[in-house]
Amino acid sequence: MDMHPRIRDEPRSEFDLVPPNESELTAGVRIEPGKSYGFFTDTTVCIGCKACEVACKEWNNLPADNLGLTGQSYDNTGSLSANTWRHVAFVEKAGSSGVRDNAQQAFQSGWLMMSDVCKHCHNAPCLEACPTGALFKTEFDTVVVQQDICNGCGYCVPACPFGVVDINTLDGKAHKCTLCYDRLKGGLEPACAKSCPTDSIQFGELSDLHARAHQRVEHLHGLGVDSAYLYGVPGGPGATGGIGHLNAFFLLTEQPEVYNLPVAPTRPATRIVPSLLSGLAAVAGLALVAIGLFSKRA
Amino acid sequence: MPKAMCGVVTIVQEGRFQMTDDAGVSHLFILAYSAAAEPQQLTALQARQARVRVHYRPAANLIGNTVTAIELAG
Amino acid sequence: MPDQVILQDPDDAPEGPSAAHDTMPDGSWQGPTYYRRSQLKAAPFGNWVVGGYIFCAGLAGASALISAIAGFSRLPQAAATVRRGRYLALLGPLSAVLLIYDLHTPKRFYNMLRIAKPTSPMSIGTWILMSFSGFACLGAAAQFLSDRVPGLGWLRRAARVTDVPTAVAGAGLSAYTASLLSATSTPLWAAAPRSLAVRFGASSVAAGAASLSLGERRGATRRALDAITVAALSAELAATLASHGTYRRKGVAEALDGGWGQVETIGATALGAALPLGLQIASLATARRKPGVLSSVASIAVLAGSLLLRVSILSAGDISAERPGINFRFSRPENLP
Repeated sequence: MDMHPRIRDEPRSEFDLVPPNESELTAGVRIEPGKSYGFFTDTTVCIGCKACEVACKEWNNLPADNLGLTGQSYDNTGSLSANTWRHVAFVEKAGSSGVRDNAQQAFQSGWLMMSDVCKHCHNAPCLEACPTGALFKTEFDTVVVQQDICNGCGYCVPACPFGVVDINTLDGKAHKCTLCYDRLKGGLEPACAKSCPTDSIQFGELSDLHARAHQRVEHLHGLGVDSAYLYGVPGGPGATGGIGHLNAFFLLTEQPEVYNLPVAPTRPATRIVPSLLSGLAAVAGLALVAIGLFSKRA
Repeated sequence: MPKAMCGVVTIVQEGRFQMTDDAGVSHLFILAYSAAAEPQQLTALQARQARVRVHYRPAANLIGNTVTAIELAG
Repeated sequence: MPDQVILQDPDDAPEGPSAAHDTMPDGSWQGPTYYRRSQLKAAPFGNWVVGGYIFCAGLAGASALISAIAGFSRLPQAAATVRRGRYLALLGPLSAVLLIYDLHTPKRFYNMLRIAKPTSPMSIGTWILMSFSGFACLGAAAQFLSDRVPGLGWLRRAARVTDVPTAVAGAGLSAYTASLLSATSTPLWAAAPRSLAVRFGASSVAAGAASLSLGERRGATRRALDAITVAALSAELAATLASHGTYRRKGVAEALDGGWGQVETIGATALGAALPLGLQIASLATARRKPGVLSSVASIAVLAGSLLLRVSILSAGDISAERPGINFRFSRPENLP
């Protein structure tokens, strides 16, 4: 990641007040309305520390939930939910015969760790499904649920092809990652990206992130990690079926199903016209039958 | 049977807020869907560091409480 | 003294072993899953509540459509049908109560009227329901007043004006609910949007005709209504066959293997469509003047089947969302439009 020149002017690590445009110091990016921002999550450098989960819960004042152990490696969180907006997935690769490999590749590959989050899709299905207008696209090209409008109809929940947004039955509204909308407005990068110690979660402008991500994939291919690919970039897996691209995209090294992601999701709104036309045609056809039957009865 | 607690609202996010009680212990509260208060009213309470009384029930399967009513305590 | 934390098992812990190996097949899906955890989230609707609404709205809309057609035929014996249709249409606005009840923050139900969004069938449906309800209430009020108050008989004929938009909105009401289900990522609902729409639309028309037929005393009109039921049930059965073929092709048929699939087959298709179809054909062929018991039994079966169709599809859809293998088979590149 390129260092912003301002870093040279700020040798301290403690500040009395939040410095203006703090994201320039921590992420090398100035946050301005009107530009597209997102996450590039490089799972090959994730160490599974879950600092992102903790930072997200702390900043957003989310309650600790899913109390109890799952027995699923180090993943006791399980999945994204109304109270969990960052979820670190753990997969211990056992090899093809159930016995772990003795030799490892150039980087840690026996473990897969991936910090899952709302994808902030370009053509977000949740936004398109929302009948109240609670879900909207912010000036930073992210998707946010307005809590003072949402009436908990729950239609966004089955619309999401990634199973992200959920209804909190206690407060009766839909919740998901806001990409720290309040922090962005204050010039701060999102809490998870700031807390990530390995820069696995990189926050920045989307075009910049895409360039960095493609460079990283090429670098990994050069190291012999041919299975590395980007999930959620235009034309790639995860950004299929009319979704466009994902503002929060990933570098993965296994097929998406291993990380609980769909290979080829579709934009649900494409099904509206075929459904309505077929339904109306059926009803219209039966109406013609009715007209014929009632006109014969003389 | 809802319980009551007095304290100062310190953090507000959406319909959730943190309240520090008189003993200095902080608790997490979630506004119930049936509560008369709306999430947008909580930020004013936090800005004023207002002392409030919340009527709440502990929530199941999470470390937090559901608020059924909230009023100024003076 | 701190409040005791209420602990329960994690709500979303999946069944089965949770050993950490990278291939955990789910059902017929032999590829990897993530500890067999669901990849999607099921709709948080109450299936009987929303299914009940779809059934009532479809019935109301179709009744309004059929009775309007009967009324425009200018046949004197159709007046009773028109009256019944105008009152049955009130079932539409009344069933909106079910929708408000299903919201998780019911006190904000009016926020549905903030916008009109063409990419959201729920928004489209809200406005179809609002316009249908407005015109239906006008028609029903005109009918009620013209029957009770002497001298206002002309209202009944004037109400023909509102019958047209009621019928058009009613057609929309019968047809849009399938798009509500298909415009989601739930595999069973998304797999066959066209045949599901024909199924729901035809089932609504059958239910509307059946409910009008049950109270109909005039033989000729009842025969006409029963013939409409026959046509609608035939369309529904054809669409059912088509949809099941599509489900198998797209890999989501597993969702119908369990109990709700049996409800769909036995309750919705066999008892709700095939049986009444046979009974109505028999009734129309044998009863020369006025259809009798066979017709009534068939109509009741149609109504029960129409409700069971909606509830079973909603419930089986939730199952398809909760099984990761089903969605991994559905969301493959081969199934892209």
